[in-house]
Amino acid sequence: MEKDSKKNRAEVSDGDGIIVLKNLTKTFGDNVVLDNVSLAIEKGKTTVVIGPSGCGKTVLVKHLNVLLRPSSGEVYFKKRRIDNLPENELNRIRTHYGFLFQGGALFDSLSVAENIIFPIRQHYRIKHWSEVEDLVKTKLSIVGLDGFQNFYPANLSGGQRKRVALARAIALNPEVILYDEPTTGLDPIRADIINELILKLQKELGETTVAVTHDMTSAYKIADRIIMLHNGKIIADGDADHIRNHPHHVVQQFINGQVSEDDLAVLRVSGTLFQAQFLPRDFKE
Amino acid sequence: MIGIMGAKVIEDMGNVGRFAGFVWQTMIACARNCVRSKTYPLIWAQMHIIGVRSVPVVMITGAFVGMTLAIQAYDQLAGMGMEERLGVLINISVVKELGPVLAAVMLAGRVGGALTAELGTMNVTEQIDAVRSMGTNPIRYLVAPRVLACLLLTPALIIFADLMGVLGGYFVSVPEPPIGFGINSRAYWSFSAAGVELWDVAVGVIKGFFFGGAIAAISCYKGFTCKQGAHGVGQACTEAFVASFICILALNFAFGVISKAIYSTFWPIKSLV
Repeated sequence: MEKDSKKNRAEVSDGDGIIVLKNLTKTFGDNVVLDNVSLAIEKGKTTVVIGPSGCGKTVLVKHLNVLLRPSSGEVYFKKRRIDNLPENELNRIRTHYGFLFQGGALFDSLSVAENIIFPIRQHYRIKHWSEVEDLVKTKLSIVGLDGFQNFYPANLSGGQRKRVALARAIALNPEVILYDEPTTGLDPIRADIINELILKLQKELGETTVAVTHDMTSAYKIADRIIMLHNGKIIADGDADHIRNHPHHVVQQFINGQVSEDDLAVLRVSGTLFQAQFLPRDFKE
Repeated sequence: MIGIMGAKVIEDMGNVGRFAGFVWQTMIACARNCVRSKTYPLIWAQMHIIGVRSVPVVMITGAFVGMTLAIQAYDQLAGMGMEERLGVLINISVVKELGPVLAAVMLAGRVGGALTAELGTMNVTEQIDAVRSMGTNPIRYLVAPRVLACLLLTPALIIFADLMGVLGGYFVSVPEPPIGFGINSRAYWSFSAAGVELWDVAVGVIKGFFFGGAIAAISCYKGFTCKQGAHGVGQACTEAFVASFICILALNFAFGVISKAIYSTFWPIKSLV
């Protein structure tokens, strides 16, 4: 194991990236979702991954804490290779990460407080419950939901659920927080609350942040660095200004919300609405 | 054609391998949970949901099995003038075969369906991924307590089913007509006591461990591997019930063969002991 560990620590040359992906490829059957992606996530910075729906953003972020294992390629955390570790060792590594899932993924059968206590209970021996209650109160205060301890997820709105999920994600004081579509499904005001929270956490706690989104307002607001994925490859990488002025037409179409000529051509040949209404309204036998 | 069959066989073998791996990990997790007092509350909670709440349906199942057996068997035995032996027929059928199997089938429907639906929904809403992302083994947290609860409580539920089956048979056989068949109570019980051995009861109860383990393992596996969407969860529940049902019948047959062999081997030396 010691030998493996030394081997794992070798050969990483991507500067001071806290998480490094090397030649990562992920396939599901014949479908290549990520194609030879290499990436170093900088410590203490906010990296945002953008791209159209289905381009592999969520698959990419799930490789960062090895919720998915790559088909080929390597994943390093703090210069240690982690994609080949057994699950029990990975579980220790994963406590350094917080993960906000797209739908929140709160446990329906547990109250808000129990959801936040869950990771603490799994990894620490609790001697004084009053300390844990104070911790829950603190975490909920950070996301502006103190007083909701006894609510159940079913009684919360979409935005509140994401904020509780965020409180749970930071319960173990992680070094890295991964956000999967943090603003999807929220109205612009609730989405902005989440953006402000991400900025606040990054600023106050100095955590490394990786967010996956297709919401450009959110991306411009929170990102130190934006990466665009297209057809499983990184086609753009830089700060917000770099992305705004990127010459690649796919990047420009995506950030400006413009449909491509190819997509329009598909719509044109797929028939008119009139043709689709094949069943007359006065249809009689 | 041969290619399609070959692909299907390879896929099925892969599924069997994945299920075997899942069961192995579950067994390890169960062993670890047994020595970790921290997980006892989880096991207690599952015991309440799986065990305590199943008592009424299992008792009703057992009672109807006993009563129906009495109705069906009386005429056959009465025709031979052996109606006083109705008790032994009912009770040995209930404690050895019908009680355990039908109680297990009822549990496969009630508990197995609920386990698959619960874990399947957790799977499609990324709650299982959330458990993993927080550094917790989902098999240890979600599967092992459910499997342990099923393992421990299915034999107890079978005892309830047996008890109600015996009482159900009694209340149809012994009361005077038109309520029952008016069989002499003393004869009914003495023939039963002579015909039903501790061995028969033990075989029925021991089956419960294996039935319970099979129901929980299959149902949890189907929940963990279900496809996305409401249709995926529904399909997983159906597959879990069908697989559990077939597994119960197959295990019952295997137990029948094994218990008969053991009984035949050790029966001759019983009188010496």
